[in-house]
Amino acid sequence: MRTFKIAAAMAVASIAATAVAAEVYTGAPRTYLYNPDVEVCFNDTSQYKKEGPYTIGFSNAGLGDSWRVVMQHSVMTAAAEHSDQIEKLIITDAGHDDAKQVADIQDLISRGVDLLIVSANTQQALDPAVSRAMQRGIPVVMMDRRIASDNFVTFVTASDAMMGRLFAQWIVEKLDGEGNVVMLAGQAGSSPSENREKPAREVFAQYPGINILETVYSDWSPVKGKQVMQGMIAKYGDDIHAVWSAHGLQTPGSVEAFLEAGWAPENIPPHTTADVNGPLQMAIEHGIPMLEVGYPPAMGGISVGVALDVLAGAPVPCIYEINAQIAVSEGHNTPSIQTNLRLTDLVVPNGAPDMLVTGGMGQDYDPTTYSVDYPK
Amino acid sequence: MTELAYRSYNFFTKRQSGLLVVIGLLVLLLLFGAFISDRFSSASNILNVFEQSTGLALVSLGQTMAVLTAGIDLSVGSMISLLSVLLSGTIDGEAARVLPVCLGIMVLGAAIGSLNGLTVIWLKVHPLIVTLGMGALLQGVTLLYTLGPAGSVPFEFDFVAYGRVAGLPVGAVFTIVLFILVALFLRYVPFGRFIYAVGDDEAGARLMGLPRKRVLVFVYAFSGFCCALTAIYLVGRFGVGNVYTGQNYTLASITPVVVGGTLLTGGRGGVIGTLFGVYLISLLNNLLNFMDISTHYQLIIQGLIIILAVSVYVEKKRAV
Repeated sequence: MRTFKIAAAMAVASIAATAVAAEVYTGAPRTYLYNPDVEVCFNDTSQYKKEGPYTIGFSNAGLGDSWRVVMQHSVMTAAAEHSDQIEKLIITDAGHDDAKQVADIQDLISRGVDLLIVSANTQQALDPAVSRAMQRGIPVVMMDRRIASDNFVTFVTASDAMMGRLFAQWIVEKLDGEGNVVMLAGQAGSSPSENREKPAREVFAQYPGINILETVYSDWSPVKGKQVMQGMIAKYGDDIHAVWSAHGLQTPGSVEAFLEAGWAPENIPPHTTADVNGPLQMAIEHGIPMLEVGYPPAMGGISVGVALDVLAGAPVPCIYEINAQIAVSEGHNTPSIQTNLRLTDLVVPNGAPDMLVTGGMGQDYDPTTYSVDYPK
Repeated sequence: MTELAYRSYNFFTKRQSGLLVVIGLLVLLLLFGAFISDRFSSASNILNVFEQSTGLALVSLGQTMAVLTAGIDLSVGSMISLLSVLLSGTIDGEAARVLPVCLGIMVLGAAIGSLNGLTVIWLKVHPLIVTLGMGALLQGVTLLYTLGPAGSVPFEFDFVAYGRVAGLPVGAVFTIVLFILVALFLRYVPFGRFIYAVGDDEAGARLMGLPRKRVLVFVYAFSGFCCALTAIYLVGRFGVGNVYTGQNYTLASITPVVVGGTLLTGGRGGVIGTLFGVYLISLLNNLLNFMDISTHYQLIIQGLIIILAVSVYVEKKRAV
């Protein structure tokens, strides 16, 4: 019964993808189906059960990139949809500053929130503040970025580990087990970056012919991504055989760096990406081998639903994984990564390069003009 | 008694007006906040703000001393980052190492700070440039040491940041005591008064044979020491040191100094004004959170406060 519930709940997330192609995967999360554990960890939340309507606090690490903007809009939309149960949603933005986020969490508690949704700027620095909130009996739902310890009720995420491993395994097979890889990570110390890097390194380590040249940090920005990749290209040139990118936010910067350094489009090494339209457009235009594994910002809205489950006292999985799309450029399936979904199925050909194709906000959504009347 | 010495004896009366302005603003904020939300003026919220202000207060204490000599310390942010990763990296979860490593970090902070002071003297370059360079250098060393969070501290270490004794946050109370001690030192110890003299009229201080070099080395060493205290507090608060932990403190540490009435041209002001400046800024940030004002506006408001405060106090000095 429990397992049925979780599969059903998680399947909802997959429908959120905006892609309309028939190949879009709408089943249960693969990480759940293929999980070899006999039992999935659940947390009992009966101690948090209380009568509504609720005041929910959302402590956001920051709005430093387009993914985070869409994710926050997804939270607001969900709050508006649940305005019968939510009296007030208070959102704070820490501007990617750990000290500010710790203070934000304290301030939200002072303001009497019933539950906290936290997307932690870095996983260790926010650990004491979140753990203390839990100690005080305020349930915390982590979303997108967790803390290092398990002191939270649940963590709503797509599988970082799966992304990291699929990216790495695909690169290994594209290179036939021989070659040099640059790891273009996100923000040093943030959990999505670390939790993709580490499993990827494990995969690479199993192939002695694979050599990681360097790990560089893009802070999830195409501009910074381009800068650091220009440095890598200047240093290693043709010796770079693949770029493992932790997300699609920085991938366009890397592709641009190769193009500007004079690489013929057909010689640009394989890249990995997620969620963002621009890299898909570039891969299609220039014929770059590319693998996309999504990390949908729709998890923002899903976390609001999970928060309401917690306040209703319903058991929730310890890690609440939502579904992700896996797409590859034409002709670049490998023995381990076999998918019917092509980049051309996901891309919005005339859409803005920085738009997210996995936001789940509907066809008319535009982040620049978005507004919603959520309970404030 | 020379004009110079006379002025340095009377610094206290001269900084009073600035102090009253800050305290007045603080009261206004409290009243306004209480009007906005009854939770704002609750004891638990005010104590939280008190606790949150500790890091900024400690680093601004050292900054005030540098500014009093007409200098500035722009290496504080990187120094805090470096000392924080060294602290948690060296303790690495071992409770027995906590005390010796904390002491070592304080000595190291003071040593790096005195290097700032010595470089200012040797190269005869403005402290702005020397400490800016030192900041870049220290950030580089930090990144060579580690690219991410380093090591860990025992769980109980968070007492320095979150601990409460008799309901009061220990870090914040320690900070107040330290500010009072420094204020007394500046007022009653001759060497403390030399700090004002050097900032007021450096050439004059040299002519009078005041120990200008010793004063400069001392203030930058003290600023480094304050960075070490800030690093200890922040590692307590975050459970780990990180490579950019101190980054925002470089600029942030200057705001309370100028808001508190210490002139960037040196020789006027004092640490008590800075402490109230810190409370003003911490309370303002808290109030802006309560009012659901976005972080971007919080930055704009802080920027405006700096410019406003500097312009107000500059006028005062011209009038003297």
